[in-house]
Amino acid sequence: MSVIQVNQLRKVFKVQKNREGLKGAFQDLFKRQYNHVAAVDDITFQIPKGEICGYIGENGAGKSTTIKMLTGILVPTSGNIEVNGMVPYKEREKFVRSIGVVFGQRSQLWWDIGVIESFQLLKKVYRVPENDFKMRLNEIVERLQLSEILNRPVRKLSLGQRMRCELAASLLHNPSILFLDEPTIGLDIVVKTEIREFLKEMNQKYETTILLTTHDLQDIEALCSRVIMLDQGHIIYDGGLQNLKENWGKGKEVHFQFQKSYKLPQLHELTKGLNVKWVKENEMTAKVWIPQNEVNVSDVLSRIVGFTDISDIKIFETNTDEIVREIYKSGSAEKPKEVVVSNV
Amino acid sequence: MYYASIFTDYFKTYLKTRMTYRADFLIEVVTDLLFQLTNLFFILVVFLHTSSLGGWSIYEMLFIYGYFMIPYGIFTCFLNLWSFNERYIVKGEMDRILTRPAHNLVQLVLENMDPASLFGSITGFIIMGYAWLQLDVGFVWYDPFVLVLMVIGSVLIYAGVYITITSLSFFSDSPTGITPMIWNIQNYGRYPVDIYNKVIKFTLTWLLPFAFVGVYPASFFLDKDISQGFALLTPVVGIVFFSIGFVVWNVGVNRYKGAGS
Repeated sequence: MSVIQVNQLRKVFKVQKNREGLKGAFQDLFKRQYNHVAAVDDITFQIPKGEICGYIGENGAGKSTTIKMLTGILVPTSGNIEVNGMVPYKEREKFVRSIGVVFGQRSQLWWDIGVIESFQLLKKVYRVPENDFKMRLNEIVERLQLSEILNRPVRKLSLGQRMRCELAASLLHNPSILFLDEPTIGLDIVVKTEIREFLKEMNQKYETTILLTTHDLQDIEALCSRVIMLDQGHIIYDGGLQNLKENWGKGKEVHFQFQKSYKLPQLHELTKGLNVKWVKENEMTAKVWIPQNEVNVSDVLSRIVGFTDISDIKIFETNTDEIVREIYKSGSAEKPKEVVVSNV
Repeated sequence: MYYASIFTDYFKTYLKTRMTYRADFLIEVVTDLLFQLTNLFFILVVFLHTSSLGGWSIYEMLFIYGYFMIPYGIFTCFLNLWSFNERYIVKGEMDRILTRPAHNLVQLVLENMDPASLFGSITGFIIMGYAWLQLDVGFVWYDPFVLVLMVIGSVLIYAGVYITITSLSFFSDSPTGITPMIWNIQNYGRYPVDIYNKVIKFTLTWLLPFAFVGVYPASFFLDKDISQGFALLTPVVGIVFFSIGFVVWNVGVNRYKGAGS
């Protein structure tokens, strides 16, 4: 069962063209010219219940616009959306009670009052019964370790503390879908990890469907079983992260640190018959390039390890950052080109 | 019931915030009253030079002025939309409003409540009461009920006009200048409309019906015949204009474009 269904969704913004200079400004005053920019251009996807889906793309690719249409903030120019069986912008008030929203750049909480008081207010707004609220609050407070900061006004919280509170606020009414727009932006690694763990747990425990946009691919790697990649309003990739890596990652590179010096021909001899490339770095170290789907890393290792004295082995994989950078650059995920293997 | 309950909670929140910044609160009340009193002073100065203005005596003028202050105070208490464009459109806070399960306009009302301006209404009531005592217009048992009805009508007119104007923010990027202009026109409503020329009178009656927030309803109690019939129209005009505002607003919300990010 898909809880989110998006069909040929489009959103076009009318943007005024500003002509240059003072003369242009005068012309603009009397006769305006507009550009029509399709921020989201004909996208279609379904998200089943309980899935965590990552929504990625460069700045201005249309991620936030999609999220805003899915949450009922914006009205689409054309196309259909159905979330939780409702059309978001048509029955906003009823619809938003079944979803939770966190915008990383914007606060849901009241600036001047204590966090707990914001929660109480939200409880009223979302009509959460007292008992449910208490149970839910206790669970979240304990899980996110909020008890110390519950009575502080929001304006006195650090970004990490605030973000945890935002997350708590969005979950008080036990929404079945959670929309997160850059939830980890600007956070340190500890808080990021904490938030990821928390989201994973909520997803497993309550089958909360989560759709998140992010620029931090570690969020995606830690959380998402599926990624949708957007470029200039079009979906350029929709599928598993593993799949993306397999298609785009071209292979692995293994670095060997030997205890004594080996010559290249000796190494070639050891891996005879395997399509691998050896490069000698210096006297004691060498690296081997193992193409994906052709040669197994374990085959290579078993041949080398038994016959040489090795002090250290490092295996490098094309990392997601690089894969994604390549895709952004080429603007399409369909035809993988040569990807440079990281040497970090 | 639901809205009454969240109203109470938002109101408590308002009080809590205000108590944190109490100096600010006091200053606001005082400046508000000072502003109103300057206007009052202006009327008094005019009557130092003449004993009647287009057939209206000083107490009648004070009565109208007092009445005028009552709906205005209530309106600013609940529909404080001055900073709407800047805060909700430019900064995109409308996003947050639209993802909460209460009507967006109600949420705006609740978030921008300004009960301090009710002091203006109280002052107006006192001025009106004082003028009433000075005038020989009598007092009928149904007068208080009519007053309540009139005030509701006037508040709805304010609400309707300003909601419509504020909705322009959804259609145009920066509709500056219109609100202050309307605000200036509204102040004409506290003087008897028959002292203006026909065009202005027509405008104030049917286009921007600010005559209905001051002189018409007040004249009902003064038994002035210029607007007896019109006075009773106040609630009707109120409902009509409020409905227009509400419809325009809802159309506008669907054109909301969001901001940035």
